[in-house]
Amino acid sequence: MHPEPGKCVWVVIAAYNEARVIEQVVAGVRRRGYSVVVVDDGSGDATAAIAEQAATAVVYHPVNLGQGAALQTGIEFALGQGADFIVTFDADGQHRADDIAALLRALTENKADFALGSRFLGASIDLPRSRRWLLKAATLFTRFTTGLRVSDTHNGLRAMTRRGASFVALRQNRMAHASELLEQIARSKLRYVEVPVTIEYSAYSLAKGQKLSDSLTILVDLSAQRLHR
Amino acid sequence: MIAQLILTAFLLGILLYAWLEYRRAPVVGVLAMVAALTGLYFVWIPAHATRLAELVGIGRGVDLILYIWVVISLIMLLNLHLKLRVQKEMITVLARELAIANARLAATAK
Repeated sequence: MHPEPGKCVWVVIAAYNEARVIEQVVAGVRRRGYSVVVVDDGSGDATAAIAEQAATAVVYHPVNLGQGAALQTGIEFALGQGADFIVTFDADGQHRADDIAALLRALTENKADFALGSRFLGASIDLPRSRRWLLKAATLFTRFTTGLRVSDTHNGLRAMTRRGASFVALRQNRMAHASELLEQIARSKLRYVEVPVTIEYSAYSLAKGQKLSDSLTILVDLSAQRLHR
Repeated sequence: MIAQLILTAFLLGILLYAWLEYRRAPVVGVLAMVAALTGLYFVWIPAHATRLAELVGIGRGVDLILYIWVVISLIMLLNLHLKLRVQKEMITVLARELAIANARLAATAK
């Protein structure tokens, strides 16, 4: 169960219109003894109401701001609650709650501040070939821009220590936050470690996931941020 | 001569704008400065504009100046886009403060 006795672990789940799956996802994480904050990112469905029944805490964005903004909100909330460790976890059901323990263990054993889940070191079930190539291309791009030797750059399953989380200040509201986070990890000079995790794709998670056109938006967002302070 | 004076006034205005924007968005500031200074140079030495235009195959110096205006307009568009991004960031910070202040904790966590 809880691998860090005496330590406060908060799992941050950013959710936007996830009424179909949010209860099951949150319950899976809570069963393992972690506190869960769901950041409802201005959902138009019953996500928030369902999350209130299942999660430890729910934070509501008054309008839809994007996954990056929701994660930053969740991280700041968890820090405010005194979290020793913070985990980010996708709301669409493609992550396995059992992998959280491995991420936390990796932080402690390696004295690292960031543990990044990697489906390419672990496993990805039913990952379409086109999505695999897109993710590989994104990984190459991020390795080039950040200098981090990572194998999976757009994996939403990660853990960080309180110290690591305090270095995270996501300004990319949308999907570019994953690359931005790696840039901030690189800048922080803190230790990071990759951990094999399993990502299980479903028709639901694939429909909600990133598409080829999103990669162009990510590139524009990352470039635009470099042009202003 | 009248056209030259009017264009100069506009371009000096853009130069001032570029200088003001430099601190917030250095890339936009430098691009706008280069475009405005190039424009000023060609407005006052149109013969060079004609020669350069012929050299690069544009045709007339006046056309070259027109193209510089187009470039300046695009730079200003980019700058507007960046300003909108900054505004969105501020709205995000505001929304986040509100969200965290109004967070609902489950009964077991209180």
